[in-house]
Amino acid sequence: MACGSTYLWRGKCTWFCCGGGWGPCGSTGTGACGTCQSSQYKGAWPNASQACWDITRPDLCGENMPRRGCGSVMRIRHQCTNATVCITIADCGPRTKSFCGAKSCCNGVCRTNHIVDLTPAAFSVIGNLSSGHVPVWIYE
Amino acid sequence: MTDLDRRRFLTAAALGGATIVGASALGALDADAAFATTRSTLDPAIPSSVFAEGRIGAMDSGLLHVAGSWGETHHVQLTNATSVWKLRPTSWTEIEVGDGMYGRGVRMPDGTIAADAVWINIVNLECTLQGIDRDRIEVAHDQHRVVGRLVPGTTLASYGGGPLTADLSRLRIGQAVRMLGAWRPADDSVDVARLTVGV
Repeated sequence: MACGSTYLWRGKCTWFCCGGGWGPCGSTGTGACGTCQSSQYKGAWPNASQACWDITRPDLCGENMPRRGCGSVMRIRHQCTNATVCITIADCGPRTKSFCGAKSCCNGVCRTNHIVDLTPAAFSVIGNLSSGHVPVWIYE
Repeated sequence: MTDLDRRRFLTAAALGGATIVGASALGALDADAAFATTRSTLDPAIPSSVFAEGRIGAMDSGLLHVAGSWGETHHVQLTNATSVWKLRPTSWTEIEVGDGMYGRGVRMPDGTIAADAVWINIVNLECTLQGIDRDRIEVAHDQHRVVGRLVPGTTLASYGGGPLTADLSRLRIGQAVRMLGAWRPADDSVDVARLTVGV
């Protein structure tokens, strides 16, 4: 599947570990799709399935993004640096409803609500892991 | 490398690819040379940056021997230009055998990764607050209990999308939090850098 240029969504992007690893990540599984691994370019989408949507409920924050299931490919672009990374959806998340109004800003322009999670490998392509989040635009 | 050179290098690194150009232009003879200069143009023929993950098994003159969590092995070379984070921006002298790490860099011809950034023991956990004490919190992450140590002068919180503050008095049991910090291998707790608190 291609990593395209058609606009899909925009918002706050965070990162997470999956598939095992050291420390607290050691207890993480391979995600809802069974393919998630921190060292690969993977991501989590709040509407990966109906069951996923029922957990994340982004609509409670005003985010009604379309369903994109396991294996969907997205291009994630940092709003200000334009750094991009192509990822494959491998998990359900983030839990958008728990962080309504959370912002990520650059150059004075903010994106609101957690709408995508990236693995450390993917996030490190477009941002600094120690920042924890970046504002992004998503394409497919 | 001067501070100005370092800033220019890190800016280029954040844009991706520029570090690779530098490495290629210099013939990629060694890691230090790879990051000695910066270039503003990108060469699409040059491969993208690489990523390393795992536990540090040994250190030798800035070369990290890393055992990946999925059976792979990485050799990560730190340079004068490598950005190091361990709870806060720091130097490689803070890195210890047994630490976990994520690293980003460029692959050298000998297979070594010349790192432009390494993050030591960094975690970013989506969890639920289960306990609050004067100097620690307890959270549930993936149905496991994790102790977060509050570090005076370092731990900050953001409430409901607001600015970062050192005021932790608004933490409440049951809140959803994103906990960014540095795992402590010695006792499996996490030194907390930042709490993003949900609504």
